[in-house]
Amino acid sequence: MALLMEGLKEALLLLFRFDREVYGIIGLSIGLSFTSTIFSAIIGIPLGLYLGIKPFRFKKTFTRTIYTMMSLPPVVIGLLVALFLSRSGPLGSLGLIFTPTAMVIAQMILITPIILGIVYNDAKQQGPAIKQIGMTLGAGRLQTLKLLITEMRITLLIALVTGFGRATSEVGAVMIVGGNIKGHTRVMTTYIAMNSSMGNYAVAISMGIVLLLISFMVNTILYHYVTGE
Amino acid sequence: MNIQVTNLIKKYQDKTVVDMNSIGFLSGNIYGVTGDNGAGKTTLLKILAGLESHDLGNIVYNDQPLGPSLMKKITYLSQTPYLMRSSVYENIIYPLKIRNVDSKIIERKAFEIMEELQVAELRDQLATQLSGGESQKVALARALVFDPEVLLLDEPTASIDPATIEIIEEAIKKRNKLQNMTIIMISHNIDQVKRMCDEIIYMKKGKRI
Ligand SMILES: Nc1ncnc2c1ncn2[C@@H]1O[C@H](COP(=O)(O)OP(=O)(O)OP(=O)(O)O)[C@@H](O)[C@H]1O
Ligand SMILES: [Mg+2]
Repeated sequence: MALLMEGLKEALLLLFRFDREVYGIIGLSIGLSFTSTIFSAIIGIPLGLYLGIKPFRFKKTFTRTIYTMMSLPPVVIGLLVALFLSRSGPLGSLGLIFTPTAMVIAQMILITPIILGIVYNDAKQQGPAIKQIGMTLGAGRLQTLKLLITEMRITLLIALVTGFGRATSEVGAVMIVGGNIKGHTRVMTTYIAMNSSMGNYAVAISMGIVLLLISFMVNTILYHYVTGE
Repeated sequence: MNIQVTNLIKKYQDKTVVDMNSIGFLSGNIYGVTGDNGAGKTTLLKILAGLESHDLGNIVYNDQPLGPSLMKKITYLSQTPYLMRSSVYENIIYPLKIRNVDSKIIERKAFEIMEELQVAELRDQLATQLSGGESQKVALARALVFDPEVLLLDEPTASIDPATIEIIEEAIKKRNKLQNMTIIMISHNIDQVKRMCDEIIYMKKGKRI
Protein backbone atom coordinates (compact mmCIF):
# COMPACT_ATOMS: atom_id res chain seq x y z
CA MET A 1 0.00 0.00 0.00
CA ALA A 2 2.82 2.36 0.93
CA LEU A 3 4.50 1.48 -2.33
CA LEU A 4 1.35 2.31 -4.27
CA MET A 5 0.96 5.66 -2.59
CA GLU A 6 4.61 6.36 -3.25
CA GLY A 7 4.00 5.34 -6.87
CA LEU A 8 1.06 7.68 -7.17
CA LYS A 9 3.13 10.54 -5.84
CA GLU A 10 5.96 9.65 -8.23
CA ALA A 11 3.54 9.39 -11.09
CA LEU A 12 2.30 12.91 -10.54
CA LEU A 13 5.83 14.18 -10.13
CA LEU A 14 6.88 12.27 -13.23
CA LEU A 15 4.12 13.83 -15.28
CA PHE A 16 4.49 17.34 -13.98
CA ARG A 17 8.24 17.43 -14.24
CA PHE A 18 7.66 17.21 -18.01
CA ASP A 19 10.60 14.89 -18.26
CA ARG A 20 11.63 14.57 -21.91
CA GLU A 21 12.48 10.90 -21.59
CA VAL A 22 9.20 9.99 -19.92
CA TYR A 23 7.10 11.85 -22.44
CA GLY A 24 9.16 10.32 -25.22
CA ILE A 25 8.36 6.86 -23.90
CA ILE A 26 4.66 7.62 -23.54
CA GLY A 27 4.58 9.18 -26.99
CA LEU A 28 6.33 6.23 -28.60
CA SER A 29 4.00 3.77 -26.88
CA ILE A 30 0.91 5.54 -28.09
CA GLY A 31 2.35 6.20 -31.54
CA LEU A 32 3.39 2.60 -32.15
CA SER A 33 0.14 1.17 -30.80
CA PHE A 34 -1.86 3.61 -32.87
CA THR A 35 0.08 2.72 -36.01
CA SER A 36 -0.30 -1.02 -35.54
CA THR A 37 -3.99 -0.62 -34.71
CA ILE A 38 -4.58 1.34 -37.92
CA PHE A 39 -2.71 -1.17 -40.09
CA SER A 40 -4.37 -4.11 -38.37
CA ALA A 41 -7.76 -2.48 -38.85
CA ILE A 42 -7.08 -1.94 -42.55
CA ILE A 43 -6.52 -5.69 -42.86
CA GLY A 44 -8.83 -7.02 -40.17
CA ILE A 45 -12.01 -5.00 -40.68
CA PRO A 46 -12.64 -5.64 -44.40
CA LEU A 47 -11.55 -9.26 -44.09
CA GLY A 48 -13.70 -9.81 -41.01
CA LEU A 49 -16.74 -8.28 -42.71
CA TYR A 50 -16.21 -10.29 -45.88
CA LEU A 51 -15.53 -13.64 -44.25
CA GLY A 52 -18.30 -13.16 -41.70
CA ILE A 53 -20.96 -12.66 -44.33
CA LYS A 54 -19.74 -15.02 -47.02
CA PRO A 55 -20.67 -18.67 -46.66
CA PHE A 56 -17.68 -20.91 -47.40
CA ARG A 57 -16.55 -24.43 -46.67
CA PHE A 58 -14.77 -25.12 -43.38
CA LYS A 59 -16.26 -21.98 -41.87
CA LYS A 60 -16.53 -23.71 -38.49
CA THR A 61 -12.85 -24.67 -38.58
CA PHE A 62 -11.96 -21.14 -39.59
CA THR A 63 -13.99 -19.76 -36.69
CA ARG A 64 -12.13 -21.94 -34.21
CA THR A 65 -8.77 -21.02 -35.73
CA ILE A 66 -9.43 -17.31 -35.56
CA TYR A 67 -10.56 -17.58 -31.94
CA THR A 68 -7.34 -19.39 -31.10
CA MET A 69 -5.29 -16.77 -32.89
CA MET A 70 -6.97 -14.04 -30.85
CA SER A 71 -4.94 -15.23 -27.88
CA LEU A 72 -1.56 -15.92 -29.46
CA PRO A 73 1.18 -15.94 -26.81
CA PRO A 74 3.06 -12.63 -27.31
CA VAL A 75 6.44 -14.00 -26.28
CA VAL A 76 6.25 -16.70 -28.94
CA ILE A 77 5.26 -14.17 -31.59
CA GLY A 78 8.09 -11.91 -30.46
CA LEU A 79 10.52 -14.79 -30.75
CA LEU A 80 9.31 -15.73 -34.24
CA VAL A 81 9.44 -12.16 -35.51
CA ALA A 82 12.91 -11.76 -34.00
CA LEU A 83 14.09 -14.96 -35.70
CA PHE A 84 12.89 -13.66 -39.05
CA LEU A 85 14.26 -10.17 -38.63
CA SER A 86 17.54 -10.88 -36.84
CA ARG A 87 20.72 -10.17 -38.81
CA SER A 88 21.15 -13.84 -39.72
CA GLY A 89 17.43 -14.43 -40.30
CA PRO A 90 15.64 -14.66 -43.69
CA LEU A 91 14.66 -10.98 -43.55
CA GLY A 92 17.78 -9.87 -41.74
CA SER A 93 19.03 -7.78 -44.64
CA LEU A 94 16.18 -5.33 -44.05
CA GLY A 95 17.91 -4.34 -40.82
CA LEU A 96 14.64 -4.11 -38.90
CA ILE A 97 15.49 -5.90 -35.69
CA PHE A 98 15.45 -3.58 -32.63
CA THR A 99 13.56 -0.88 -34.51
CA PRO A 100 10.10 0.58 -33.95
CA THR A 101 9.06 -0.98 -37.27
CA ALA A 102 9.80 -4.45 -35.90
CA MET A 103 7.65 -3.61 -32.89
CA VAL A 104 4.78 -2.55 -35.12
CA ILE A 105 5.08 -5.82 -37.06
CA ALA A 106 4.95 -7.88 -33.87
CA GLN A 107 1.99 -5.90 -32.54
CA MET A 108 0.17 -6.26 -35.84
CA ILE A 109 0.55 -10.04 -35.75
CA LEU A 110 -0.92 -10.01 -32.27
CA ILE A 111 -3.83 -7.66 -32.80
CA THR A 112 -4.91 -8.28 -36.39
CA PRO A 113 -6.56 -11.57 -35.34
CA ILE A 114 -8.25 -9.77 -32.44
CA ILE A 115 -9.74 -7.08 -34.64
CA LEU A 116 -10.58 -9.58 -37.36
CA GLY A 117 -12.13 -11.98 -34.85
CA ILE A 118 -14.37 -9.40 -33.20
CA VAL A 119 -15.58 -8.04 -36.56
CA TYR A 120 -15.96 -11.52 -38.06
CA ASN A 121 -18.02 -12.77 -35.15
CA ASP A 122 -20.50 -9.91 -35.36
CA ALA A 123 -20.62 -9.92 -39.16
CA LYS A 124 -21.46 -13.64 -39.04
CA GLN A 125 -24.41 -12.94 -36.76
CA GLN A 126 -25.78 -9.65 -38.07
CA GLY A 127 -24.22 -9.29 -41.50
CA PRO A 128 -26.59 -11.41 -43.59
CA ALA A 129 -29.67 -9.58 -42.26
CA ILE A 130 -28.09 -6.18 -42.91
CA LYS A 131 -27.01 -7.19 -46.39
CA GLN A 132 -30.50 -8.49 -47.11
CA ILE A 133 -32.06 -5.21 -46.01
CA GLY A 134 -29.72 -3.33 -48.32
CA MET A 135 -30.65 -5.55 -51.25
CA THR A 136 -34.40 -5.41 -50.64
CA LEU A 137 -34.43 -1.65 -50.29
CA GLY A 138 -32.49 -1.11 -53.49
CA ALA A 139 -28.98 -0.36 -52.25
CA GLY A 140 -26.08 -0.95 -54.62
CA ARG A 141 -22.90 -2.71 -53.57
CA LEU A 142 -21.18 0.35 -52.14
CA GLN A 143 -24.33 1.52 -50.43
CA THR A 144 -24.76 -1.90 -48.84
CA LEU A 145 -21.17 -1.78 -47.61
CA LYS A 146 -21.80 1.64 -46.12
CA LEU A 147 -24.95 0.35 -44.43
CA LEU A 148 -23.00 -2.58 -43.01
CA ILE A 149 -20.38 -0.26 -41.55
CA THR A 150 -22.89 2.14 -40.02
CA GLU A 151 -24.95 -0.69 -38.55
CA MET A 152 -21.87 -2.38 -37.10
CA ARG A 153 -20.17 0.85 -35.96
CA ILE A 154 -20.20 -0.08 -32.28
CA THR A 155 -18.57 -3.43 -32.96
CA LEU A 156 -15.95 -1.78 -35.15
CA LEU A 157 -15.17 0.69 -32.40
CA ILE A 158 -14.91 -2.06 -29.80
CA ALA A 159 -12.55 -3.94 -32.12
CA LEU A 160 -10.33 -0.88 -32.54
CA VAL A 161 -10.19 -0.09 -28.83
CA THR A 162 -9.54 -3.70 -27.87
CA GLY A 163 -6.73 -3.89 -30.42
CA PHE A 164 -5.22 -0.62 -29.22
CA GLY A 165 -5.50 -1.73 -25.60
CA ARG A 166 -3.75 -4.99 -26.34
CA ALA A 167 -1.00 -3.18 -28.23
CA THR A 168 -0.28 -0.66 -25.48
CA SER A 169 -0.34 -3.23 -22.68
CA GLU A 170 1.73 -5.93 -24.35
CA VAL A 171 5.30 -6.37 -23.16
CA GLY A 172 6.79 -9.72 -24.18
CA ALA A 173 6.86 -9.31 -27.93
CA VAL A 174 8.00 -5.68 -28.07
CA MET A 175 10.73 -6.42 -25.55
CA ILE A 176 12.18 -9.17 -27.74
CA VAL A 177 11.93 -7.46 -31.13
CA GLY A 178 12.50 -3.90 -29.89
CA GLY A 179 15.15 -4.53 -27.30
CA ASN A 180 14.05 -1.75 -24.94
CA ILE A 181 16.69 0.64 -26.28
CA LYS A 182 16.63 3.98 -24.51
CA GLY A 183 15.31 6.77 -26.69
CA HIS A 184 14.67 4.41 -29.56
CA THR A 185 12.49 1.41 -28.76
CA ARG A 186 11.71 1.88 -25.09
CA VAL A 187 7.96 1.91 -24.51
CA MET A 188 5.86 2.11 -21.34
CA THR A 189 5.59 -1.62 -20.75
CA THR A 190 9.27 -2.37 -21.30
CA TYR A 191 10.15 0.63 -19.14
CA ILE A 192 7.97 -0.80 -16.37
CA ALA A 193 9.44 -4.28 -16.73
CA MET A 194 12.98 -2.91 -16.67
CA ASN A 195 12.48 -0.68 -13.65
CA SER A 196 10.67 -3.39 -11.78
CA SER A 197 13.48 -5.86 -12.35
CA MET A 198 15.98 -3.26 -11.17
CA GLY A 199 14.01 -2.69 -7.98
CA ASN A 200 12.84 0.82 -8.93
CA TYR A 201 9.30 -0.01 -7.90
CA ALA A 202 8.10 3.55 -7.46
CA VAL A 203 9.08 4.49 -11.02
CA ALA A 204 7.59 1.26 -12.35
CA ILE A 205 4.34 1.84 -10.52
CA SER A 206 4.13 5.44 -11.62
CA MET A 207 4.43 4.48 -15.28
CA GLY A 208 1.91 1.71 -14.61
CA ILE A 209 -0.50 4.32 -13.37
CA VAL A 210 0.01 6.38 -16.51
CA LEU A 211 -0.73 3.27 -18.58
CA LEU A 212 -3.88 2.66 -16.59
CA LEU A 213 -4.95 6.26 -17.08
CA ILE A 214 -4.59 5.99 -20.84
CA SER A 215 -6.57 2.79 -20.91
CA PHE A 216 -9.20 4.36 -18.67
CA MET A 217 -9.50 7.36 -20.95
CA VAL A 218 -9.82 5.29 -24.10
CA ASN A 219 -12.46 3.09 -22.51
CA THR A 220 -14.38 6.07 -21.17
CA ILE A 221 -14.59 7.52 -24.63
CA LEU A 222 -15.77 4.15 -25.95
CA TYR A 223 -18.30 3.72 -23.17
CA HIS A 224 -19.62 7.20 -23.75
CA TYR A 225 -20.04 6.52 -27.43
CA VAL A 226 -21.70 3.15 -26.96
CA THR A 227 -24.20 4.26 -24.33
CA GLY A 228 -24.71 7.68 -25.89
CA GLU A 229 -26.87 6.04 -28.54
CA MET B 1 -44.77 -5.83 -63.13
CA ASN B 2 -45.69 -9.31 -64.35
CA ILE B 3 -43.70 -12.27 -63.10
CA GLN B 4 -43.62 -15.63 -64.85
CA VAL B 5 -42.06 -18.69 -63.21
CA THR B 6 -41.38 -21.91 -65.12
CA ASN B 7 -40.03 -25.23 -63.86
CA LEU B 8 -38.49 -23.74 -60.75
CA ILE B 9 -36.53 -26.07 -58.50
CA LYS B 10 -34.66 -25.12 -55.35
CA LYS B 11 -32.73 -27.60 -53.24
CA TYR B 12 -30.95 -27.32 -49.94
CA GLN B 13 -28.37 -30.09 -50.03
CA ASP B 14 -30.44 -33.02 -51.33
CA LYS B 15 -33.78 -31.77 -50.12
CA THR B 16 -36.08 -30.19 -52.69
CA VAL B 17 -37.65 -27.19 -51.00
CA VAL B 18 -39.43 -25.54 -53.94
CA ASP B 19 -40.76 -27.32 -57.02
CA MET B 20 -43.07 -25.18 -59.16
CA ASN B 21 -44.07 -26.11 -62.70
CA SER B 22 -45.54 -22.89 -63.87
CA ILE B 23 -46.94 -19.95 -62.02
CA GLY B 24 -47.62 -16.40 -63.07
CA PHE B 25 -48.18 -13.18 -61.15
CA LEU B 26 -49.88 -10.28 -62.86
CA SER B 27 -49.50 -6.58 -62.28
CA GLY B 28 -52.12 -5.14 -59.97
CA ASN B 29 -53.11 -8.43 -58.37
CA ILE B 30 -52.67 -9.61 -54.80
CA TYR B 31 -51.63 -13.23 -54.35
CA GLY B 32 -51.86 -15.16 -51.14
CA VAL B 33 -49.43 -17.98 -50.39
CA THR B 34 -50.36 -20.36 -47.64
CA GLY B 35 -49.37 -23.83 -46.43
CA ASP B 36 -47.73 -25.76 -43.60
CA ASN B 37 -44.57 -24.66 -41.82
CA GLY B 38 -41.58 -25.63 -43.90
CA ALA B 39 -43.62 -25.85 -47.13
CA GLY B 40 -41.15 -23.55 -48.90
CA LYS B 41 -43.14 -20.30 -48.90
CA THR B 42 -40.37 -18.07 -47.57
CA THR B 43 -37.86 -19.70 -49.89
CA LEU B 44 -40.12 -19.05 -52.90
CA LEU B 45 -40.46 -15.37 -52.01
CA LYS B 46 -36.73 -14.97 -51.42
CA ILE B 47 -36.03 -16.47 -54.83
CA LEU B 48 -38.50 -14.07 -56.45
CA ALA B 49 -36.80 -11.20 -54.61
CA GLY B 50 -33.39 -12.26 -55.88
CA LEU B 51 -32.15 -13.00 -52.36
CA GLU B 52 -31.77 -16.74 -52.92
CA SER B 53 -30.45 -18.59 -55.93
CA HIS B 54 -32.35 -21.47 -57.53
CA ASP B 55 -31.11 -24.71 -59.03
CA LEU B 56 -33.29 -25.06 -62.11
CA GLY B 57 -35.93 -23.15 -63.98
CA ASN B 58 -36.59 -19.70 -65.23
CA ILE B 59 -38.11 -16.53 -63.80
CA VAL B 60 -38.84 -13.45 -65.86
CA TYR B 61 -40.07 -10.02 -64.80
CA ASN B 62 -41.91 -8.32 -67.68
CA ASP B 63 -40.06 -10.81 -69.89
CA GLN B 64 -36.68 -9.75 -68.49
CA PRO B 65 -34.32 -11.75 -66.29
CA LEU B 66 -33.63 -10.26 -62.87
CA GLY B 67 -30.79 -7.71 -62.84
CA PRO B 68 -29.64 -4.86 -60.61
CA SER B 69 -32.03 -2.26 -62.04
CA LEU B 70 -35.06 -4.56 -61.71
CA MET B 71 -34.07 -5.46 -58.17
CA LYS B 72 -34.46 -1.82 -57.22
CA LYS B 73 -38.17 -2.11 -58.06
CA ILE B 74 -38.80 -5.24 -56.01
CA THR B 75 -38.94 -5.41 -52.26
CA TYR B 76 -39.27 -8.21 -49.76
CA LEU B 77 -40.49 -7.77 -46.21
CA SER B 78 -39.14 -10.47 -43.95
CA GLN B 79 -40.99 -12.47 -41.31
CA THR B 80 -38.62 -10.83 -38.81
CA PRO B 81 -37.79 -7.43 -40.29
CA TYR B 82 -34.43 -5.86 -39.53
CA LEU B 83 -34.60 -2.22 -38.55
CA MET B 84 -31.49 -0.08 -38.63
CA ARG B 85 -29.92 1.39 -35.47
CA SER B 86 -31.33 4.81 -36.04
CA SER B 87 -34.62 6.64 -35.64
CA VAL B 88 -37.88 5.44 -37.15
CA TYR B 89 -37.77 8.40 -39.52
CA GLU B 90 -34.23 7.59 -40.70
CA ASN B 91 -35.31 4.01 -41.33
CA ILE B 92 -38.30 5.03 -43.38
CA ILE B 93 -36.45 7.52 -45.59
CA TYR B 94 -33.46 5.23 -46.23
CA PRO B 95 -34.73 3.83 -49.58
CA LEU B 96 -35.36 7.37 -50.81
CA LYS B 97 -31.99 8.68 -49.64
CA ILE B 98 -30.06 6.00 -51.51
CA ARG B 99 -32.05 6.89 -54.61
CA ASN B 100 -30.98 10.55 -54.28
CA VAL B 101 -34.56 11.74 -54.06
CA ASP B 102 -35.01 15.46 -53.49
CA SER B 103 -35.23 16.29 -49.78
CA LYS B 104 -38.61 18.06 -50.13
CA ILE B 105 -40.09 14.99 -51.76
CA ILE B 106 -38.51 12.73 -49.13
CA GLU B 107 -40.20 14.73 -46.38
CA ARG B 108 -43.57 14.64 -48.07
CA LYS B 109 -43.49 10.93 -48.87
CA ALA B 110 -42.31 10.00 -45.39
CA PHE B 111 -45.04 12.13 -43.86
CA GLU B 112 -47.72 10.48 -46.00
CA ILE B 113 -46.70 6.92 -45.30
CA MET B 114 -46.23 7.57 -41.57
CA GLU B 115 -49.74 9.02 -41.36
CA GLU B 116 -51.15 6.13 -43.33
CA LEU B 117 -49.60 3.48 -41.10
CA GLN B 118 -50.09 5.56 -37.95
CA VAL B 119 -46.45 5.60 -36.91
CA ALA B 120 -46.03 9.38 -36.96
CA GLU B 121 -45.72 9.62 -33.18
CA LEU B 122 -42.83 7.11 -33.26
CA ARG B 123 -40.89 9.33 -35.66
CA ASP B 124 -37.89 10.10 -33.43
CA GLN B 125 -37.83 6.88 -31.45
CA LEU B 126 -34.91 4.48 -31.85
CA ALA B 127 -36.18 1.81 -34.24
CA THR B 128 -34.45 -1.06 -32.44
CA GLN B 129 -36.53 -0.36 -29.33
CA LEU B 130 -39.96 -0.73 -30.94
CA SER B 131 -42.51 -3.41 -30.08
CA GLY B 132 -43.14 -6.25 -32.53
CA GLY B 133 -46.21 -4.69 -34.10
CA GLU B 134 -44.63 -1.25 -34.30
CA SER B 135 -41.58 -2.77 -36.00
CA GLN B 136 -43.79 -4.45 -38.60
CA LYS B 137 -45.54 -1.17 -39.38
CA VAL B 138 -42.27 0.75 -39.67
CA ALA B 139 -40.72 -1.95 -41.86
CA LEU B 140 -43.80 -1.87 -44.09
CA ALA B 141 -43.63 1.93 -44.28
CA ARG B 142 -39.98 1.65 -45.32
CA ALA B 143 -40.91 -0.91 -47.99
CA LEU B 144 -43.78 1.15 -49.39
CA VAL B 145 -42.19 4.58 -49.30
CA PHE B 146 -40.29 4.16 -52.56
CA ASP B 147 -43.27 2.79 -54.51
CA PRO B 148 -41.88 -0.60 -55.50
CA GLU B 149 -43.56 -2.38 -58.40
CA VAL B 150 -43.44 -5.73 -56.65
CA LEU B 151 -44.12 -6.17 -52.95
CA LEU B 152 -43.33 -9.54 -51.36
CA LEU B 153 -44.69 -9.87 -47.85
CA ASP B 154 -43.72 -12.69 -45.51
CA GLU B 155 -46.42 -13.01 -42.84
CA PRO B 156 -46.79 -9.25 -42.42
CA THR B 157 -49.44 -9.54 -39.72
CA ALA B 158 -48.30 -12.53 -37.68
CA SER B 159 -48.61 -11.70 -33.96
CA ILE B 160 -50.26 -8.35 -34.55
CA ASP B 161 -53.40 -7.00 -32.89
CA PRO B 162 -56.67 -6.76 -34.89
CA ALA B 163 -56.71 -2.97 -35.12
CA THR B 164 -53.15 -2.88 -36.46
CA ILE B 165 -53.92 -5.71 -38.90
CA GLU B 166 -56.65 -3.54 -40.35
CA ILE B 167 -54.27 -0.59 -40.77
CA ILE B 168 -51.72 -2.79 -42.51
CA GLU B 169 -54.29 -4.43 -44.78
CA GLU B 170 -55.72 -1.07 -45.80
CA ALA B 171 -52.29 0.30 -46.63
CA ILE B 172 -51.48 -2.74 -48.74
CA LYS B 173 -54.79 -2.65 -50.62
CA LYS B 174 -54.56 1.09 -51.22
CA ARG B 175 -51.09 0.91 -52.76
CA ASN B 176 -52.08 -2.10 -54.80
CA LYS B 177 -55.01 -0.21 -56.38
CA LEU B 178 -53.34 3.16 -56.78
CA GLN B 179 -50.06 1.95 -58.17
CA ASN B 180 -50.93 -1.32 -59.82
CA MET B 181 -48.44 -3.03 -57.54
CA THR B 182 -47.91 -6.78 -57.81
CA ILE B 183 -48.28 -8.13 -54.30
CA ILE B 184 -47.54 -11.63 -53.06
CA MET B 185 -48.18 -12.23 -49.39
CA ILE B 186 -47.60 -15.26 -47.23
CA SER B 187 -50.17 -15.76 -44.51
CA HIS B 188 -51.37 -18.55 -42.26
CA ASN B 189 -54.62 -16.68 -41.77
CA ILE B 190 -57.06 -18.12 -44.32
CA ASP B 191 -59.67 -15.46 -43.62
CA GLN B 192 -57.12 -12.75 -44.32
CA VAL B 193 -56.02 -14.39 -47.55
CA LYS B 194 -59.64 -14.73 -48.73
CA ARG B 195 -60.35 -11.15 -47.76
CA MET B 196 -57.30 -9.66 -49.48
CA CYS B 197 -56.24 -11.80 -52.39
CA ASP B 198 -57.26 -12.28 -56.01
CA GLU B 199 -55.70 -15.72 -56.11
CA ILE B 200 -54.63 -18.19 -53.44
CA ILE B 201 -51.64 -20.50 -53.79
CA TYR B 202 -51.59 -23.48 -51.45
CA MET B 203 -48.14 -24.99 -50.98
CA LYS B 204 -47.17 -28.38 -49.64
CA LYS B 205 -43.62 -29.77 -49.59
CA GLY B 206 -42.49 -27.20 -52.13
CA LYS B 207 -45.29 -27.86 -54.61
CA ARG B 208 -48.45 -25.95 -55.44
CA ILE B 209 -51.52 -28.04 -54.62
N1 LIG C 1 -30.59 -21.88 -45.54
C1 LIG C 1 -31.20 -23.10 -45.46
N2 LIG C 1 -30.46 -24.23 -45.42
C2 LIG C 1 -31.05 -25.43 -45.36
N3 LIG C 1 -32.36 -25.62 -45.33
C3 LIG C 1 -33.16 -24.55 -45.36
C4 LIG C 1 -32.61 -23.22 -45.44
N4 LIG C 1 -33.64 -22.35 -45.45
C5 LIG C 1 -34.76 -23.08 -45.39
N5 LIG C 1 -34.49 -24.40 -45.34
C6 LIG C 1 -35.47 -25.49 -45.29
O1 LIG C 1 -36.33 -25.33 -46.40
C7 LIG C 1 -37.66 -25.69 -46.04
C8 LIG C 1 -38.60 -24.57 -46.44
O2 LIG C 1 -38.35 -23.45 -45.60
P1 LIG C 1 -39.20 -22.11 -45.69
O3 LIG C 1 -38.60 -21.15 -44.74
O4 LIG C 1 -39.28 -21.71 -47.12
O5 LIG C 1 -40.62 -22.60 -45.18
P2 LIG C 1 -41.94 -21.75 -44.94
O6 LIG C 1 -42.99 -22.35 -45.80
O7 LIG C 1 -41.69 -20.32 -45.07
O8 LIG C 1 -42.27 -22.11 -43.41
P3 LIG C 1 -42.92 -21.21 -42.26
O9 LIG C 1 -44.39 -21.24 -42.44
O10 LIG C 1 -42.53 -21.96 -41.01
O11 LIG C 1 -42.32 -19.86 -42.32
C9 LIG C 1 -37.65 -26.01 -44.56
O12 LIG C 1 -37.66 -27.42 -44.41
C10 LIG C 1 -36.36 -25.43 -44.08
O13 LIG C 1 -35.84 -26.20 -43.03
MG1 LIG D 1 -41.60 -18.74 -43.74
